[in-house]
Amino acid sequence: MLSVKNIVKQYASHRALDQVSLEIERGKIFGLLGPNGAGKTSLIRIITQITAPDSGEVLFNGERLNANHISQIGYLPEERGLYKKMEIGEQVLYLSKLKGLSTAEATKRIKFWFEKLEMAGWWNKKVEDLSKGMQQKVQFVATILHQPELIILDEPFSGFDPVNADIIKNEILELNKQGATFIFSTHRMESVEELCDHIALIDRSKKILDGGVDEIKATYRNNTYWVEYEGEYNAASAKGIFEVLQTENVKGKTLIKVQLQQDKTANEVLSLLLPHVAIHRLDEVIPTMNDIFIDKVKRQNYE
Amino acid sequence: MNKILLIIRREYLSRVKKKSFIIMTFLTPLLIAGIYGLIGYFTYKGISDTHDKIAVVSVNKTLKDQLSSDKNIEYDYVNKGLDEMKKSLKKSDYDYVLYLPEFDLKAPKGVELFGSKQAGLSLNSRISKDIEELIRNQKLKESGIAQSDLDQLKTSVDIETKKIADTGKEESSSAGASTIIAFIAGILMFMFIMLYGIQVMRGVIEEKTSRIIEVMISSVKPFQLMMGKIIGIALVGLTQFILWIVLTLTISTVAVTVLVDKADVKKIAASAQNGSQITTGTPAVSAAHGPMMDIQKSLAGLDFGKIVSVFIFFFIGGYLFYSALYAAIGSAVDSETETQQFMMPVMMPLLLGYALSLSVVTNDPYGNIAFWLSMIPFTSPIAMVVRLPYGVPNWELALSMVILVAGFIGTVWIASRIYRVGILMYGKKTTFKEMFKWFTYKN
Repeated sequence: MLSVKNIVKQYASHRALDQVSLEIERGKIFGLLGPNGAGKTSLIRIITQITAPDSGEVLFNGERLNANHISQIGYLPEERGLYKKMEIGEQVLYLSKLKGLSTAEATKRIKFWFEKLEMAGWWNKKVEDLSKGMQQKVQFVATILHQPELIILDEPFSGFDPVNADIIKNEILELNKQGATFIFSTHRMESVEELCDHIALIDRSKKILDGGVDEIKATYRNNTYWVEYEGEYNAASAKGIFEVLQTENVKGKTLIKVQLQQDKTANEVLSLLLPHVAIHRLDEVIPTMNDIFIDKVKRQNYE
Repeated sequence: MNKILLIIRREYLSRVKKKSFIIMTFLTPLLIAGIYGLIGYFTYKGISDTHDKIAVVSVNKTLKDQLSSDKNIEYDYVNKGLDEMKKSLKKSDYDYVLYLPEFDLKAPKGVELFGSKQAGLSLNSRISKDIEELIRNQKLKESGIAQSDLDQLKTSVDIETKKIADTGKEESSSAGASTIIAFIAGILMFMFIMLYGIQVMRGVIEEKTSRIIEVMISSVKPFQLMMGKIIGIALVGLTQFILWIVLTLTISTVAVTVLVDKADVKKIAASAQNGSQITTGTPAVSAAHGPMMDIQKSLAGLDFGKIVSVFIFFFIGGYLFYSALYAAIGSAVDSETETQQFMMPVMMPLLLGYALSLSVVTNDPYGNIAFWLSMIPFTSPIAMVVRLPYGVPNWELALSMVILVAGFIGTVWIASRIYRVGILMYGKKTTFKEMFKWFTYKN
């Protein structure tokens, strides 16, 4: 639904985005990852039409991005706030009217969401009287109230307490089920890993990785397993099948991290060990997005 | 467009609903009416109620029994020595003891006034004028002029100034009245531009520090947000201004009809008449009285409709001109404390315009300085409303208005280019150089 094509954005002395292209499919949760200052926010500001690219184009449902799309995008910026002296209800109403909702429709939806997120009775409160977590709920409601097709959340869970983070996570999944497309922008991979279908990694204004989460993980698997057992075996016999990278002894049990040789399988490891030791568990070591991210960024820095 | 209206509505309502706005709006006219009431009351009381009883110890034969009393001052010649009077002053019902020694009429010296309290300036000058007049009359008599001739010499001349309008019609005018109107208009204009310009700046800073700005500009263009804020606050200013006028007029009308009873009005009228009868005796009163009549007459001659409408035009124009600059400043900083360095260059022309308008322009409303001050958009809002009561040729007015409109289109354009970048910059100390860079950024 959203195609970003060869975007270049140049600020006076540094290039924020350099030939970045992305393809975001309808109904997916897309993770836009990258360290601080990589260019994530610059890219989002272009998608939300806050700024314009120097070259390249963005297509929304095949159309070149224009003012009509503003009402179809919901954006929760990293730097977010509310008018301190304004009543909550008024405030959300104002923000959603700016997105093109009528007063009646907006009021109805605000009431629905306030009910749903246990915020009923907040209408006349002022922002100053709310805790930070409460404010973030209000901001979340304001972001999604106009039922945008595309919802962009910049560092969505930073500052949320675990309880509210969970509530918001569930709402996101529900909205996603109803067809909304999401973009998460974050430098904290672990917070969005389980939610994302697809990710793109941006580092120093360039896209360095792009793909489905499962595919990426698959390519970063390197045949490494954790094996936990009780007993002894002849280490020399393992030669040609696996190599032990790490050994730990915990309460009479042994935990080893092994790397399999090319085209060997976990079955072969087991058949070697089974006659000698009692196996407690065997896990494949799957790299987290965080590992991949760090690995990729580091490698980039060396080059 | 619809979005600008929504923004204007919010900016307007959120300010008008504030307690401080309501208090300011209703309290200020009460204060103004109250202050004028007090001034009027005390002036009236001051004129009618002072009554000083003075014991005159006159060693001087020429001046004996000559000083004449009236309702404000009572001269009582006593046949006692000065020392005795001084000693008994506190116990007696006299306020002061006046000592007139024997002196040469050509060089009078040694007149003394003793009192249990320090004599005021007006009493002092009153007595010295009375004595001077006696001496003058005495001298005239000595040179052979009869008392009857002297009486005939007393005349009072009031000059009625009239301005010949473009239409050829004569209009009553008075430098006094025009100056008063000019001062009030100038001060009001200065206050309004300052107060509401700074409100725009505060509003922008508030949006930046509360970080709502990013949420806002994902829905609206920075230009819409800026203009919405500027227009919304302008309407707040206009509302306040109109309410002040209406309320001040209402309150003073009500106050005059309710508080001042008819007897008092008669008394004031009587004292005013007294004033004109004793013109020579109390020049201070007559001087105050003369221009008063003039002012009333020429106030009627001034075209208030024109003054108010031109004032409103220049208020809106001047406010737009400056508030755009204030918006740009607000966008460039993170907190109000950082605004100092940018405020100076914006404040200077306004202050200069204000100071020059109230001094140079009121003295010479048709001079070169007055002309240029009322043309340059930095100073024209103040200078023009100050010049207005003196009469400004229509072509000058029109030219100044056109320049002002062009000026604010210019500042709004410049400010919007700085604003759109500035509002997204946090935690950086901004310099003028940087602001210029923002200005040149492409979208």
